[in-house]
Amino acid sequence: MTLYFGDILPYLPVMLKALWVSIYVTLISFAAGGVLGIFIYLAKASRFKALQLFSNGYIEVIRNTPLLVQLYLIYFGLGSIGINFNPLWSVLIGMTLNNSAYTAEIFRAGISAVPKGLREAGTALGMPFHQTFRYVILKPGIRNVLPALTNQFIVLFLFSSIGSVIALDELTSTLQNLNSQTLRTLEIFSVGALLYFLTSAAIAFGSRITERLAFRW
Amino acid sequence: MIITVEGLHKSFGKLEVLKGIDCEVAEGEVLCVIGPSGSGKSTFLRCLNFLESFREGQVTISGHNLTGAKTNLNAVRRDVGMVFQSFNVFPHMKVIDNIMLAPMKVGKVSRVDAHARGMVLLEKVGLTSKADVYPSTLSGGQMQRVAIARALAMEPTVMLFDEPTSALDPETVGDVLDVMKKLAEEGMTMVVVTHEMGFAREVADRVLFMDAGVIVEEGTPAQIFESPQHVRTQTFLSKLL
Repeated sequence: MTLYFGDILPYLPVMLKALWVSIYVTLISFAAGGVLGIFIYLAKASRFKALQLFSNGYIEVIRNTPLLVQLYLIYFGLGSIGINFNPLWSVLIGMTLNNSAYTAEIFRAGISAVPKGLREAGTALGMPFHQTFRYVILKPGIRNVLPALTNQFIVLFLFSSIGSVIALDELTSTLQNLNSQTLRTLEIFSVGALLYFLTSAAIAFGSRITERLAFRW
Repeated sequence: MIITVEGLHKSFGKLEVLKGIDCEVAEGEVLCVIGPSGSGKSTFLRCLNFLESFREGQVTISGHNLTGAKTNLNAVRRDVGMVFQSFNVFPHMKVIDNIMLAPMKVGKVSRVDAHARGMVLLEKVGLTSKADVYPSTLSGGQMQRVAIARALAMEPTVMLFDEPTSALDPETVGDVLDVMKKLAEEGMTMVVVTHEMGFAREVADRVLFMDAGVIVEEGTPAQIFESPQHVRTQTFLSKLL
């Protein structure tokens, strides 16, 4: 058995195109899940018991069930009762919901780690809560959550590989197809793994640079 | 009277921290509040701008009744400056931006005016050269002086100080006290919760001794420090010497 990458070289553009699908699926669900996560967090932090209960339940259900099962529920489960989403939408919805629960918890931890005294100082200056939040709490809060958010982004990106089980043309399912075409199993999947790795490493690196530039205080 | 407090009670859960406080502060007066830890003196101070809510009692400050139905607490707090034990300067803003924030966002002062006023205040607290640095490079005493300048930027009529020197290294305490002294001389109305008996003795017009949620004794610094009437005051002061 010798490794031979020559056969798969022509497929590199196909792989890169599939990698791009993985990336943009991640970007969209990370952004949408992030926005949703803010609302879930706000509901959890609100004074209203019903909202707290709802967001707690939501977070617990999502965090304590596998993403794969969530995806099956959306694609096959809802499909079986006539609510049909195509693979792309199913993956986007599944990853967005999943991401929102995790980011809500990240926001909660980050915001509550901002010293209470800063909020009091804002309040004592006569700033209404929305101003105190925006000018005083938000930036230190974001600095607190940035490492965890980066981590979450990478996890989400790697999880996007489950799109392959419902035949979304992202990187992993493309690798499977190429494998059956070329039978260069070890080569195909090691190149695929390398693509995942390089992308994740680039994201982590970008995040560290951002942290250094945007939060130097 | 710029501050009037009547029958102020405050509880945290079942623990009653303030058990009926009555007190008045005249315009331009410097009132120092002393007492052992847990006596309720910080809570009392924090009730004065409703940073701590209370259900029982009345507080009128700078013409606002704190518990009035139409009271806008943010408007009250604009008139009442506060300085904290832990400084609470905003770490993500340069010193000058710390001072400019509230005037610009709350007071609707232009950036240019806020900057000019900020520089005047920095000069007053002796930190002109630190305008464009981040607070993390400052000593505790410098941070506290920034916090004082920040509170003054809203041009308050009353200043509340919550143990402003308790978290400081001994060598930086003097600079902060000097700034406060200057402020007192300029006629600012000040309520100062403090453990600095030297400051209270020298600067206060009146000293108020609190213990276990009540005002035990009040009087001029001479009365309180030279001839305290109450046993609890005597015990407290004797422990400090």
